[in-house]
Amino acid sequence: MRHPTPRLPLPDRRRLLAGSAVGFGWLAARNLLAEGPTAGIDHGIRPRARRVIFMFMKGGPSHIDTFDPKPKLTADDGKPFPAAKPRVQFAATGNLLKSPWRFRQHGACGSPVSELFPHVARHVDRICFLHGVHGTNAAHGGAVLKLHTGSDTFVRPGMGAWVSYGMGTLSADLPAFITICPTLAHGGANNWGSAFLPARHQGVPLGVASRPATEARMKFIANPRWSADVQREQLDLVRGLDGAAPAEPLLEARLESFELAFRMQRTMPAVEDLSGETPDTLALYGLDDPVTANFGRQCLMARRFAEAGVRFIQVTHSDGKVQWDQHADLVAGHTEKAAEVDKPIAGLLTDLARRGLLDDTLVVWAGEFGRTPVAQGTNGRDHNPEGFTIWLAGGGARGGTRYGATDDYGYYAVDGRMSIHDVHATILHLLGIDHLRLTFRHGGRDFRLTDVAGQVHTAVVA
Amino acid sequence: MPPLIPSRAITTALSALLLLAAGRPGSAAEPAPLSAADFASRVGPVLERRCGHCHGAERQEGGLRLDTFAGLRAGGDSGPVIVPGSRAESLLVRAVGRGDEALLMPPGEALPADEQGLLVEWVEAGAPHPEGSLEPPLPAPPFDPVEARGFWSFRPVVRPPVPADGDPADPIDAFVRVRLAAAGLVPTPPADRATLLRRVTFDLTGLPPTPDEMEAFLADGAPGAFARVVDRLLASPHHGEHWGRHWLDVVRYADSNGLDENVAHGNAWRYRDWVIKSLNDDLPYDEFLRRQIAGDLLVEPGADPERRRDLLTATGFLVLGPKVLAEGDQAKLAADIVDEQIDTFGRAFLGLSLGCARCHHHKFDPVSQDDYAALAGVFTSTRSMESLARIARWQENIVAPPDAQEAHAAANARVEAAKGEIAAMVTAARAALAAAGTDPATVAEDRFPEETTGRLAGLRARLGELERAVVPLDTAMGVIEGSPADARIAVRGDHLAPGRRVPRGVPVVLEIDGPVAIPAASSGRRELAAWLTDPRHPLTARVIVNRVWRWHFGRGLVASSDNFGRLGEAPVNQPLLDWLAAELIDSGWSLKALHRRIILSAAWQRSSDPATSPTGAAAADIDPDNHLRWRGSIRRLEAESIRDSLLAVGGRLDRTMGGSLLHVANRAFLFDHTSKDETRYDAPRRSVYMPVIRNHIQDCLWLFDATDGAVPCGDRGTSTVPSQSLWMMNGDLVLEVADGLTRSILAATPGDARARPLLLFRRVLARPPTAAEEALVQGSVARITARLAAAGTPPGECEREAWTAVTQSLLAANEFLFIR
Repeated sequence: MRHPTPRLPLPDRRRLLAGSAVGFGWLAARNLLAEGPTAGIDHGIRPRARRVIFMFMKGGPSHIDTFDPKPKLTADDGKPFPAAKPRVQFAATGNLLKSPWRFRQHGACGSPVSELFPHVARHVDRICFLHGVHGTNAAHGGAVLKLHTGSDTFVRPGMGAWVSYGMGTLSADLPAFITICPTLAHGGANNWGSAFLPARHQGVPLGVASRPATEARMKFIANPRWSADVQREQLDLVRGLDGAAPAEPLLEARLESFELAFRMQRTMPAVEDLSGETPDTLALYGLDDPVTANFGRQCLMARRFAEAGVRFIQVTHSDGKVQWDQHADLVAGHTEKAAEVDKPIAGLLTDLARRGLLDDTLVVWAGEFGRTPVAQGTNGRDHNPEGFTIWLAGGGARGGTRYGATDDYGYYAVDGRMSIHDVHATILHLLGIDHLRLTFRHGGRDFRLTDVAGQVHTAVVA
Repeated sequence: MPPLIPSRAITTALSALLLLAAGRPGSAAEPAPLSAADFASRVGPVLERRCGHCHGAERQEGGLRLDTFAGLRAGGDSGPVIVPGSRAESLLVRAVGRGDEALLMPPGEALPADEQGLLVEWVEAGAPHPEGSLEPPLPAPPFDPVEARGFWSFRPVVRPPVPADGDPADPIDAFVRVRLAAAGLVPTPPADRATLLRRVTFDLTGLPPTPDEMEAFLADGAPGAFARVVDRLLASPHHGEHWGRHWLDVVRYADSNGLDENVAHGNAWRYRDWVIKSLNDDLPYDEFLRRQIAGDLLVEPGADPERRRDLLTATGFLVLGPKVLAEGDQAKLAADIVDEQIDTFGRAFLGLSLGCARCHHHKFDPVSQDDYAALAGVFTSTRSMESLARIARWQENIVAPPDAQEAHAAANARVEAAKGEIAAMVTAARAALAAAGTDPATVAEDRFPEETTGRLAGLRARLGELERAVVPLDTAMGVIEGSPADARIAVRGDHLAPGRRVPRGVPVVLEIDGPVAIPAASSGRRELAAWLTDPRHPLTARVIVNRVWRWHFGRGLVASSDNFGRLGEAPVNQPLLDWLAAELIDSGWSLKALHRRIILSAAWQRSSDPATSPTGAAAADIDPDNHLRWRGSIRRLEAESIRDSLLAVGGRLDRTMGGSLLHVANRAFLFDHTSKDETRYDAPRRSVYMPVIRNHIQDCLWLFDATDGAVPCGDRGTSTVPSQSLWMMNGDLVLEVADGLTRSILAATPGDARARPLLLFRRVLARPPTAAEEALVQGSVARITARLAAAGTPPGECEREAWTAVTQSLLAANEFLFIR
């Protein structure tokens, strides 16, 4: 389900080379690294971010146990929920269950954070919490797809693919969209796919969620057998063999793509190589601790890709077990999950800030939904897409604020309600893109990341 | 802080109450729905008392009268006031519910909740009325059907006369020549014979010609040599494999569900094999379609088992789509599945995006929401799912022959008998112990007499054998008839807001003899299939001949091959398209006859080199994309052909046909939530037989633009991205093929490096190298050998390694990947 690569004008190759100061580079730029339709086009929105780091917490972290405290829930622990539960629920639930964790106010802004996230708590003045987010789907698959692609019904391009399509790449030798240790379940590649957008916009996966981040490498980036100089000879021969044929842009573009691939073989491993980082930096991300090392490595790689010019970088916190999906064992599960990500996330924010990257890097933290204030069993919570928290930092997001609210128990979003389309529209807005104008014609229709909905919530823009 | 009870929750609570009142599934107590008698005794009096003053015998505000049957049915100035079964569409409910600012009735104080609830309950129960149905007449379509039928693709196909310009060339060329002459273009001459053989072999079978085939063709100077090659290739079983793959794109074939729960379509392969067989048999295209829509209804009593299996298997078409199998809202899941079926049906067979009319009338094409509901009724009356409960299960039908079914029943009976024997023995042993004063329920078997436990163990071992001997019956994904009923439109696409009921049928604008008559007791698929394959249907033949043209030339006469609507592209040569459509129908819908016609035309055989046309330079400006077919187009091989060619020239291709290469059980996860990858792609079989795992198809296929069957696709893209180059440079398959080829070439030319380029080029490109190419290759070998030696490669290995590297370059060369 790919759209054909847009047809290039077909000037004769020799004419092209003669008439262009940049020679082959022009073809490469047009065909392989094309800037997006919005690059250089003013949507009348001041771009605040140039790139995105999306931290995806798979399984559905509980908002009411992390960033959205509910005193009334604590007070009414064990009582029935006094309003109707949603029409569609994932599982049967019982009465209200208070949070087992204490909350404390932090920073100059006083935003509350539970004791699950002591490191992130130190950054609340940089963070804009969106407490009124609501989704459309109570099952993992639908909700993960909705968060990533805007649709829980159809196969649509992922958010990163849209950003790549809209903004193009900042690096000549790197893809615009990289996803580190993505999950293969619940939509899998659809979540980073390009669907009908041209194939070059699909995310490049490094590793998978079921394998350690130390194995997160781009596929086919290294040759097990040939040295670089032997490969150089091979590519020269490929070009030589084609030299006798009449010039055709399609063929020329393919030869150029070999050259780009050859350069990527050098660039990618250099970015992936953490050996040049100082012990301090490694410790900042928690690479010195087995609990935090895996996600810390992902976060550090994200920073390196951000520096190197990648537009959209996703890191996924998942594992081979139940991730943040604590239908039971809430205390043990959330304690463990939070400990794995808290320090790396805080480390990433610190590192981006001290390098001056946080100003134009939008960091997004999200799960596919939150969890219910009512108990499942005695120590668990069910999926809750009706109201949950996503947070933004840097990249023009209004730090030190809390936007929107769930009800007194944290079940439904009631104030500052943001649909997933709204979240997407707002992220694009921060990138200087009008979500209504980022369209792609496919099958007779102009498609958008936000489908036929989406509203920018300017209140969260600094 | 926000209010204690959120407003949304109140709405939800109210909905829950109303749903309960309406006796929807899921409520604990399901009261009997209201009847016409209830209207007389309860509903009518409320209307009389609350509304009668303004909407009664004396006054009819807004042209509305609510105290008579006629008045209720006719509605008022704002349209129908009651739409039976539809809360969302019934103005009465909206007015008294006070959800709509513009419509607050009665003025002043709202009706008490119990009276509101009663009105809603009555409407939801279908608004029963003693005098008859309040169903309002269907609204007129939002377009004039007669005028809409004037659009080019909705007009009947009329066979145009073949342009007579004195040249007795074939009709296709006559039509093409008219357009070329008008543009002032002179076409290129035919391609050379080696190029032609390579082109036709890939085109018809997806495989490269062998060196022997090439030499035989080049040596065959007799007239008709090329036509004989075409006939040979059309008769090859590989033809169905290659063209079957094209069709599988259109019907979004996959061996797994994809979407949220990626479980195996363990029996999808039967549909795939049926497609391949049907194309090899040249099953007429109209019958090919009929079977996919209504095969189960075409099984005659006493049909032989093989025919029955094929007919049931063909309906797999309707079930192959991706589904949100863990959707908690079963009503939404059911609606989404039907939507996917309608959308695929529309795109694949009609070139229309019918799915657009789910939520509103189509914005561009003359397809109304009522048309959508008419088709939806056909599919909601069809059973596509065994269960909608999480994780939902699609329908599968038993296709095993009768003797296998009998054997299966007999094997099951043996298992049951053995179980009975064991139970009887245990009961008897316990009874014996009970007689000795022990409570039989608590007796563990280890207290049975030794002889008994011994015999039990023997019987259980035997039971295990018997159970293992029960071979599961063969099943195929497919549909059967469900509960026939017309469907309702979904107001704003909301499955919870059913609107008016629409009789099952086809889009009004495409009706041939007026509305399609569908018997009340059947889904209507048989009638749908008959309508679709009626020779007078304006789209069916046009769409398929255009697809076939697209697959032969890389671009359709209508470039948007999946969209023949207003937003699609206009045909570049409509007389040719229509002539081909008429020809297809008159040939008895034979696709092989169509292939033959196209390939034997001069238009298909032209050289791709623009320099061979006297107008070649000008053509780059007049028709740079070659829409008018003044030359052959250079095309990259499709993903499957790239992989198959590598295996073929490497001598590793396993040409076994058919069967399943999935190694997980039907409905088992390829990926569960742990992201563990259960896919496996190691068989050297043709790519069409490799499992198509949605979200995760094989790297080399995915990289080169194969589809994963998420949506219908009749016009694959051809991308050029560096990850393809990385795969060619570093991927295992290319290296393995280069390795194997090199070893066999070196073995055939011991100590004779000069003989190697000829062998290498023959094996990879089926042609000898030029002198310049030979020199290039030898130069590369020498330099690479030197580099390897300098890097410390043992001297005995340098030469082999260098030749392997060079072989890999040849496999990566454009000539290997492109058809000229």
